[in-house]
Parts: sequence; structure tokens; C-alpha cells
Amino acid sequence: MIDEAMQEQAAAYALGALDGPERQAFEAALRVDPELRALVHELSSVTEALAGMAPALQPSAAIRERVLLEIDQRRPTGAAAAHNLPVPAAAVTPGPWIPWAVAAALALVAAGAVWQSAGLRTQLAAQASRINELTISAELARTESSDLRLTVAKLRESNRVANFRIALLDSLLAAAPKTIAVSVWDNERQDGVFIVRNLSPLPSDKDYQLWIIDPKYPSPVDAGVFQVDAKGNVRADFRAKLPIQAANQFAVTIERKGGAAVPNTKAMVLAGS
Amino acid sequence: MKGIAYPRAFGRNVAEPDQDAALIERIRGGERAAFVAFYDRYSPLLFSVAARVLGERKEAEDVLQEVMLVIWNKSGDYDPQLGTLSSWAVAVTRNKALDRLRARTRRLRLIEEAAVLAADSGATSYPSANEILHGRERAELLREAMQALPPDQRMAIELAFFTGLSQSDIAERLQQPLGTIKARIRRGMLRLREQLGGAL
Repeated sequence: MIDEAMQEQAAAYALGALDGPERQAFEAALRVDPELRALVHELSSVTEALAGMAPALQPSAAIRERVLLEIDQRRPTGAAAAHNLPVPAAAVTPGPWIPWAVAAALALVAAGAVWQSAGLRTQLAAQASRINELTISAELARTESSDLRLTVAKLRESNRVANFRIALLDSLLAAAPKTIAVSVWDNERQDGVFIVRNLSPLPSDKDYQLWIIDPKYPSPVDAGVFQVDAKGNVRADFRAKLPIQAANQFAVTIERKGGAAVPNTKAMVLAGS
Repeated sequence: MKGIAYPRAFGRNVAEPDQDAALIERIRGGERAAFVAFYDRYSPLLFSVAARVLGERKEAEDVLQEVMLVIWNKSGDYDPQLGTLSSWAVAVTRNKALDRLRARTRRLRLIEEAAVLAADSGATSYPSANEILHGRERAELLREAMQALPPDQRMAIELAFFTGLSQSDIAERLQQPLGTIKARIRRGMLRLREQLGGAL
């Protein structure tokens, strides 16, 4: 007969909620008590059923390939005999470069087979980049201003934005602490998307102007003017007036209608990197 | 719904644990085909668990990759005395996903979201990982059994499993004595075991 206290431990153990010494002590009891073991087996099956209630998602096929490629590089000694496929010659000489070499070789074969036209390749890459940027900007545009910072952090963590410069611009106005903006810049395509939340609308004779700070130039580069809607929000596509090498920082100033050649730094409202 | 009697026909194939035992032995022997079989069978379940804990696909895929490498490289860590192969794989996945979650500053926010999901899970009608793994009919039975639990028991169980909160944390969060939370988890788990007996 398993008492209630032990049942509680068994339930917590099956859920993975027992830690440290408590867990070790319970596992020691488990090894010598067949009745307890039977209970834990059954409760673990309950946990598995609980886990299976998560919405069904399929991992991408690329993950499967990545995992299999990796295990092929880490096969235990003697395992080759059991392998039902021939081991690539490169795999018998261990080295950190091998996974990359194999991946590169596979990529080359795939590229050779599928991408016969350099023009098509360029076109596809550009389209993929554009789709990625649109996805990111749409995700940002959907985000409430309070979550914008979090969304940017998440995007920065992900590989999706490897080709983009994402800058978070904070308000420089004490009276408007909730104003925030995000700039997504694609250096390869030399264009970007700018999203602002809670920026006060301007009188009709003024514009907000976006600037890119690139160390290549002695002064900020003009990236165009914009207005916000009545709620202080806008999503605008932008391009720089000069070729950008490194978009290190972004800033927004208030300028006369149509913009200025150099920024009025005394009227800077947003800045960030 | 109380006292659901699950026909044996919905139960796990009796050969399944033996099949898993054979599978893990073959994986331990370095047999690639066995590993591929394991991957194809369990990756949707493990990926779904990781995604539920983490709230995003990219990191869930990283966790799945880590878990699969654990299965391949450390299958010796699996002790059949402590549970089934799939339970162990689920536990490894959950723990790795929670490790990542804890490492992030947004942990509290995701815990909030997970708690909301836990509270809402009875009302949603998404296809579950169980459906992929065990078929629609059995998945529906499992879902009904969960919904038949008193909400306080279901909430405590889901918070413990999907958010990694300790029983003390859950007690604090739900403003209940620790003993109450332990009792809810015990009663809920035992009740599920009873209701799902034939289906597990």
C-alpha cells in the first residue's frame, strides 16, 4: 500500500516537478519498490498523454536532415557496421570542419541540380529576402507598442534576421516616454521598414525625418520624411539618399516640410541602435 | 464527465513497450535505422511539447535537435525501471525547453501565456500531438479525460508540467497552501490514471 505522501511524490516525479535531493531519494525508493515503480510507470504515461495534448506541430524537414547529418558525424565506435547506408569517406577522419564540408557539398549538389540559372538564383534570393522582411515588418506592425521591445528581442534572437539590422529607437522626449520605434534595414537591398508607435502628430508645415548614422560619412544620411497618423503610428518603407555601408544608428528629428539636408539635432525626438 | 471507461481497443498496442525496448537497444548499438524510426515516430510529440513550453518554433526546433542528440549519444542514461522510453524522451524535452525558458528574461511573460493556455486548453479544438501519435479517437478520449478533471486540478497539473513551476511556486501563484497544491496534483494524476487506464 502506497501512502498519500508517497503518492504525492510519485505524481510530482511523473510530472518532472521533483528536484535535487528529493528526486534522488525518491528514485532510490523507486528502484527497490515494485509497487511504487508500477504506479510511477502509470503516472508517467499520464504525463505523456498530457504532453500530447499540446497543439500538434510538425518540425521542419530541415531539422530531420540536420539531426541525421549530425549523428552521422557522431556515430559511436563500432556503429558503422550496423549502419544500413555506406559511411561517407570524409566521416572516417574526425574534424570540426566536416559537418560544414558535408553541408557545403550537399548544398552545392542541390544548387547545381536545381539552380541552373544565375539570374534565377539572384531573383529567388531577392524574393526570399523580401518575403522575410515583409514577414518581419508585418509581425512588428501587429505588435502592440508595449510588446514592441519584446518582439524586437525575439527577432534579434532568431536566425530570420541574420541579414537585417534591427534597431530599437527610444524616445528622447521626457513628455513622451511611451514613444518607440523600430527600424528594419536590409543592407544588401539598401532599403528598410520603419515602424513608430505613439509619436505626436506634427503641424502641416513640419515633417519627421529619419537619419542613418553610418561611420563612412561625416554626418547622418537622410533616409526620408514621414508623418504619423492621428494615433501617432506609422509604418513606412524607406531608402537612404547615399549608399550605406554600416547602419550603426538611427535617429528621427523634426524638420521643416520636405526635410533638411542636415539634421536639426536640437529637435531630435528618437534615437537608437 | 466522470468515470469514463475506455475500451481496451483504444489502449496502447501491448507490443509497443517491447518495441520501444528493442528500439532503444538498437539505438544503443548505434543503428541508424533505429534512430530514424524513433525520430519519425516521436519528433512531432517532442516538438509540440517544446513549442508549447517555449511558445515559438525556432527555439523548439533547436530543443528537438538537442533532444535527438541526447537520444543518440546518451541513450545509456535511459533507465527502463524509471519509466517508458517515450516518457523519458518527453521529460528530457520538457527539461531542455524549460532550461531555455529560464535563461530568458521573458520567462515570466511566457509563464503567464502558458497559464492562460492551460486555463483555455479545455475550450480549444486544435489537433493535438496525441492525435498525430495515437490517432484521433484515442486523442479525443485523452482530451475528454483532461476536461473532466476539476479545473483546479487541471490547472495545477498543467502549470507543473508546462511551465516548470515548483509546487511551492504554484501554491504562491494560486494563493493556496502548498499541501493543497500537492493534493490537487496527486488527486488529478490518480484520477487521470484511473480514467485513462485502458487507453494508456
